[in-house]
Formats: sequence, C-alpha cells, structure tokens
Amino acid sequence: MIWVVLLLVLVPFISAGLSLLVGHGGEVAERGIAVGAGALGLALAGVVAFPHLGDATPLAHVFAATTAAGPPIELAFYVDPLSAVLLLLAHTVAFLVQVYSLGYMHGDPRYPSYAALVSLFTGAMTLVVVADDLWVLLVGWELMGACSYFLISHHWELPEARAGAVKAFLMTRTADLGLLFAILVLGLRFDSYRISTVMAAIADGGFGRDDLWLPAVLLTAAVVGKSAQFPLHTWLPDAMPGPTPISALIHAATMVAAGVFLVARTYPLFLSAPAALNVLALVAAVTMLLAAFYALFTSDLKRVLAWSTVSQLAYMFGALAVGAWSAGVLHLLAHGAFKALLFLAAGAVVHAVGSTSMTAMGGLRDKLPDTFLTMSLGFGALAGVVPLVGFFTKDAVIGATWDAALHGRLVWPWLAWLLFASAVVTAVLTVAYSLRAWLMVFLGSPAGADLAEGEVPEIAEAPPSMKVPLYLLALPTALGGLVVVYPEAVLGSGEYHLLHPELGLVMTVLVALTAAVVVRAWRRSGGRDPWRPRVLPQPQVDRVYDVGLVRPVMRLARLARAGDRDVIDAYADGAAAGAWGLGRVLRLAQNGNVQGYLMVVVVGACALAVVAGVVA
Amino acid sequence: MPLWWPLLLSSLLFAIGVYGVLVRRNAVLVLMGVELMLNAVNLNLVAFDAYFRDVLHGGQTFALFVIVIAAAEIGLGLAIVLLVFRTHGQIDVDTMRELADREEPAVAER
Amino acid sequence: MTVVEVLFLLLGLVAVGSALLVVTTRTMVHAALWLVVTLGAVAGIFLLLAAEFLAWVQILIYVGAVVVLLLFALMLTKAPTGPQPDLDARRALPAVAVAGLVLAVLGTTVVAGFHGVELDLDGAVVGSAQTTGATIFQQWVLPFEVLSVLLLAALVGAIVLSRGTARRGGE
Repeated sequence: MIWVVLLLVLVPFISAGLSLLVGHGGEVAERGIAVGAGALGLALAGVVAFPHLGDATPLAHVFAATTAAGPPIELAFYVDPLSAVLLLLAHTVAFLVQVYSLGYMHGDPRYPSYAALVSLFTGAMTLVVVADDLWVLLVGWELMGACSYFLISHHWELPEARAGAVKAFLMTRTADLGLLFAILVLGLRFDSYRISTVMAAIADGGFGRDDLWLPAVLLTAAVVGKSAQFPLHTWLPDAMPGPTPISALIHAATMVAAGVFLVARTYPLFLSAPAALNVLALVAAVTMLLAAFYALFTSDLKRVLAWSTVSQLAYMFGALAVGAWSAGVLHLLAHGAFKALLFLAAGAVVHAVGSTSMTAMGGLRDKLPDTFLTMSLGFGALAGVVPLVGFFTKDAVIGATWDAALHGRLVWPWLAWLLFASAVVTAVLTVAYSLRAWLMVFLGSPAGADLAEGEVPEIAEAPPSMKVPLYLLALPTALGGLVVVYPEAVLGSGEYHLLHPELGLVMTVLVALTAAVVVRAWRRSGGRDPWRPRVLPQPQVDRVYDVGLVRPVMRLARLARAGDRDVIDAYADGAAAGAWGLGRVLRLAQNGNVQGYLMVVVVGACALAVVAGVVA
Repeated sequence: MPLWWPLLLSSLLFAIGVYGVLVRRNAVLVLMGVELMLNAVNLNLVAFDAYFRDVLHGGQTFALFVIVIAAAEIGLGLAIVLLVFRTHGQIDVDTMRELADREEPAVAER
Repeated sequence: MTVVEVLFLLLGLVAVGSALLVVTTRTMVHAALWLVVTLGAVAGIFLLLAAEFLAWVQILIYVGAVVVLLLFALMLTKAPTGPQPDLDARRALPAVAVAGLVLAVLGTTVVAGFHGVELDLDGAVVGSAQTTGATIFQQWVLPFEVLSVLLLAALVGAIVLSRGTARRGGE
C-alpha cells in the first residue's frame, strides 16, 4: 500500500515531465497524457484513500531520511481520514479540470505547458496532503504557489494576468515565511520535523496554555496569506485573469483550501495555543463580511465567485477557530465541490458569451440549459438552500459558532459572538449575491435584447468535455449532505455536533426572506442589476500595500540601480574616462616634433645632473 | 692657465651646439649643431688629458675616437637626410611629424 | 699672462663667435663656412694643449671631410643660396633657455669643481704622432679595431640607404 502512495505522489510529476517532453508533438498524445495521468491519479487516490477513511488506522511510512545537523528531514508519508478526503477532492477536481480543459482550452497554443503545470500542481497538492515531514509539506506548498503563478499568467500577453500572477505570488510567498519559521521553531522545540511526532507530543500534554503561541501564530500568518484572508485577501480576485479551469482547481477547491488543511492537520498545536485561534477567529469574522460585501457589488462573474471563495474560506477558518474541526473540514469538502462546479459552469458561460461581465449576460436559461441546471445547483449550495450540501455544512459551522459563543472555552466570548453574528450576516449576504448573479446571468432579458434581430450574437452551449464534469460535480453538490449526516463513515467515530435543526430552520427562513427581497429588487430594476454596482468605500488594503511596501521597495530598487550605475559603475567608467583623458593629455606631448623631444631630453638630463650633484 | 678656462669654453661650445640642434629647421644645420657639440666634447677630453698627464693618453685617444665616430655618424646622417629629401622634397624637420600620436578618429563606444 | 693664455683667449673668442654665427646665420652655406672657422679654432686650441696629432686630424677629417660632406648635402638637397628668413623655428626662446640651462649646469660644475686648479703645460708630453700611434696600437688597439668595424658598418649602411631608394624610387 505504501508503494501505491509513493506512486500516487510520483505519477503527476512524471506526467508533467511527459507533457513537457511531448510538447506540441501531437494533439492525441498531449491530451492523452494529461487526461490519462489525471485518471490514473484519481484511481490511485481512490485506492489509497478509501481504505483509510473512517476508523481505519492511519498509514505512516518513512522512505528516506537525511542525516544533517539537527533533527533529520525525512521523506515521510501519513495517510489518515483528513488526507484521504483531501486526496479524493484534489484528484477528482484535477481530473475533471483536465477533462474540462480539453474543451475549454481547445486550440490554445500553450496547452502542453498548461497540462504539465496542472499535473505538477496536482502532484504538489498530493505531496502537501500526504506529507508527514514538515519540510516535505513546505516543498509541496511552495510548488503549489509556483504553479499558481505560472497558471495565472497563462495568458501572459494580458498585463492584468501578469500583474495578478506576480501579486498572488508575492503575497502568498511573503506569508509562507510564517510557515518556514514555524517549521524551524517546531523543529527546535520538539527536535523532530515529523508532523505526527510533533502533534502527538503536543497532544500528550505538558504544555501550558499558549506556551506554543509562536509557531501557531506563524502558521496563522502563513494560512492567512495562502487562503486569501484579511489583510492578505486582495490577491485572489486579481488572480481571475487566469483561465477559468485554473480558478476552479487552484483558487477554489485545492490550493486556497490547503491553508485550511494545514490548520486542520496541525490542530493539536492550535488547540494548545488559543491565542492563535483568537487571531484566526477575528480574521475570519472580518474577512467573511468584507468579502461578501465585495461580492455583492461587483459585476464581474468570476470576481463574484472569487470573493465568495474568500468569504467561504473564512467560514472554514471560523469553524476551526472555535474548535469545530469536523465542521470546518466538511465545509472545505463541500465548498471544494460546489465552488469548482460554479467556476467550471462560469467558464462555460464565459466561453459562450465571450465576456466575464454579468452585464453582457442575461436570459441564458434557454440557450445554455445544462449549464443553467448545474450552476443553479451550485448557487443553491453556496446560498445554503435545503437539501444541498452547502446548507448542511454551513449550518454546521454557524451552529459551532453559536455553541462556542454560549459555552466555548477556546476563543474569547465576545469574539465568538462576533463570529456568530458575522457568520449569520454573511449567510444572508451570500444568498443575496448568489441570487443576484444567478438572476443576472440566466434570467431576465438577455444583453443586447434591444438589438435588432440579426445583430444578436451567437451563443452556443458548451461541448461535452465541458458539460460532463459539470454534471459529475453536481452529484456531490446535491447529495453531499449525507456525509454531514453520517460523518463517521468519512472522518471516523467521535463526537459530532454537526446537526442543528432549529438553527437550520431559522437559516432557511432567512434565506427565503432574503431571496424575496432580492427578487423584488431585481424585478424593480427591470430584470437587470438589482442594485447598481456601487463603488464601495473599501478598506484600501491594496493602497496600503502600495504605499507601504510596493513604493518603498521600488524606490529602493531604483536607488540600488542608480547606486550601481552612478556610483559603482561611475568608478569603473571614471577610471576608463580618466585613463582616456590622461592619454589625451599626454598625447599633446607626442606631437612628432623631434626637436621638442630633444629639448625635453636635454632638460631632463640637466635636471638629473643637478640632482646627482646635490645628492652625491 | 686655469683648468676651468678650456672647460668653460667647451661648455660654451656645447651649449651653442644644443641651441643649434634645437632651433634650426633644416636637417643639415641640425647636424652642424651636433658637430659643434662633439667638438666641445673633444676639447674637454684634451684639456683633461693635458691636466692629468695620463700615461695612457686616454683623453687624446678618446678624442681621436670621437672624431672617427663623428665622421661615421655624419656619413650615415647625411645619407638619411638625402633619403628624406627624396621622399618629402624638403628637409624641414618641423614638418616631419609622422611620429606624432594622433587622436583616434573612431572612439570605442561605452 | 703667458703667451699660451693669450693665444687661448683669442682662439676661444674666435671659436665662440663663429659657433654663434653657425647657429644664427640666415644663409645655410655661410653656416657651413663659419663651421669651418670654428673647427679651425678648435684645432688651434688643440695645438696649444699639446695635442698635435689630434689638431691635424681635426683639420683633415673634420674640416676636410665632414664639412665637405655637409656642403655636398646642402647642394644635393637644393638648399637655397641666399639668406632665408625662416631658418629658425618659432621656438627660439625656449631653445635659448634650454641652452642657457645647459650652460649654467655645465659651467657651474666645471668652475666650481676646478676652481683654482692650474693646468701646467710646461712638462706636458706632446701628443705627437709617435706617442699617439704607440698608445693606440698598444693600449687601445681593441677599441681601434672596433672602430674600424664601426666605420665599415657606417659605410655599408650609407650605401644601402642610398641604393635602396634608388631601386624603390618613385614609391
């Protein structure tokens, strides 16, 4: 079995290499490798994951270890239910994205590098999920960031793609310093880099409350960056110029979820240092509201989904912050499914309409029936409509915050109340923006309805390669609620407080009321935008970064360049110029006049004679 | 006579010879200046020979040798002067500046 | 003031005067002729200083051969016979300064170095042909041979220089 795990890790990397080798060698070959590797990866993931769900004993193995100064760095793997479910999620979405890309990226000249990078990313995510050594995890983590950079800038002829890629990379990389330092601190403290060893040591006790606040807070910083929480939330919407399948894979289902995974994986550490949980709770509370507001007022479909991702990630972090580990993880899984569905469906819409702006859409229900059906399910799950999976997991999260506010001991009470209130309000806002997007895209009068008959642009439904993944993802979206009802099957036996019927009822009523309000506003606006997109007085986080970080760094860079050019080079150039000038001056003496030379000789000889006379 | 009389005389002749070499434009006149200088040297040698009463008569012998060398030198020098005259058409040393270090017309780019 | 001293002074004056004329006259041929006078005066001084043989060799070689060569050169380079206004370069003043410097250095050296030293010519061995010849061919025979090689080299060089252009003339 352990060799299957190794194979699982290696297959995506090998397929990435193969994709690059094959290059433009043939459409069948490059597509075959991409999709085939995806399928193989999924199969292997299934083989590894299913035996380790529920109450199965986790699989741990060390392949190799380095002998260096300090604790050894080992190639160690660990597969427990958490790893298993994430393996399934990651490989399923990756495989579906590869299939989807056959249609979406058809005719794209950079398909080989795209496919290779998607495979590479899958490998990196797998590495993160099954790693038992902190350094191995870091390698996978950083590799994901690198793939994200390359994939966002897939269309690098667009300046916003390049800018978005750089922004994402810089922000996540800076946050990753937190992870690096946390690893170093943990290694120092526990004399081991193995996650299972460290977590076991922490769980065994012997650490006072908040003794381990430093690594916990450092990890918090790292996940805040990776998962685009406040104040490092600005990179995710700007990563949308990347291809839509990439947004689905990386920025919805997997990479940003890796932050949540990391917290879940190192949960004993966080439990022993509630200070970090307080930070996380505060960040989550702020982020979920903030992002929901942004989603409410933007008119770009992908940006709505991006902000929605940020908001839902905050939900997961909120759940983890109050101690509801399973709620957080289950919402992660659910969100992975329906957000990937939403992004892929959005891709189909964008593919058909040719623009990501919702004002260019409208009335697509008849023209894109499959997309309409699946995307409605996705929006429903996002909004928390019964009986889709989103309803169950969101209720689990809100219920957890309610419980924590009433009698929790991890987070400060006021913070728990804040989190609860934030979660409820965000849920309302989520309904609002999901409904708004749904209405604007699929119902109402199509954009350009006032155009003459012959001028209406052609809108075609997506090809099968794009539709099938949508339907496949719609399945867990619709039926995933079962997992929440029977979590033991997936996460193992234990105490679960995931079902809050009274809360569920209240939330459903709220959902219905909000929906009514939104529909009324929509009708009033004549089937267009229910409220005009307003320019929000946003917290100018990006401005702060710009003034505080970007400009000084650029100034420093210019200073360095000027220093190199004007100061250091000046010495080199000056030396050269000096030699030139001196040569030119000396050349004046070499005028070719022999008698002049003789004069100098004679005078020199006399001078020497005088000196000799004086000295001797 | 005081020894310094002939020595001073030789210095005077030498200085005049230097002036002649430095200031004259015609190559032949320059060579005449050189002859003056050589004569001054000879005078110096002979004066010292008389003073020291050298058994080897080194001073006079050397003066003789100087004369020989002067003859050889003037022969070759005039041959060169004639060569120059053939190529340039004149022997004005002021105009012969081929040894000059000229400014490079193409300066290397930075 | 002995006769020798008077004669010396006279000859010295002649030598210096004609040397000055050599370097300042405007006519080139006159310069050559004044050179003859200078060389002659110097030969006279040689006689005074008990260098007989040398004096006659001076006349023979210098006046007889060297100056004749110079005159030939003047002729072959088509030197104008009349006075020329531009025989001196414009650097007369610096040249005077340099010459003056040389004179100052040398003069100071000799006067300061040999002040009060008397040149006694009474018992001097006269540099007759016999003595000079004996010295040369006994003590100085090696330099003598070398000098003859030198003369040969100069001869060959002069011929090569003259002939070379004759063949390459018009290039």
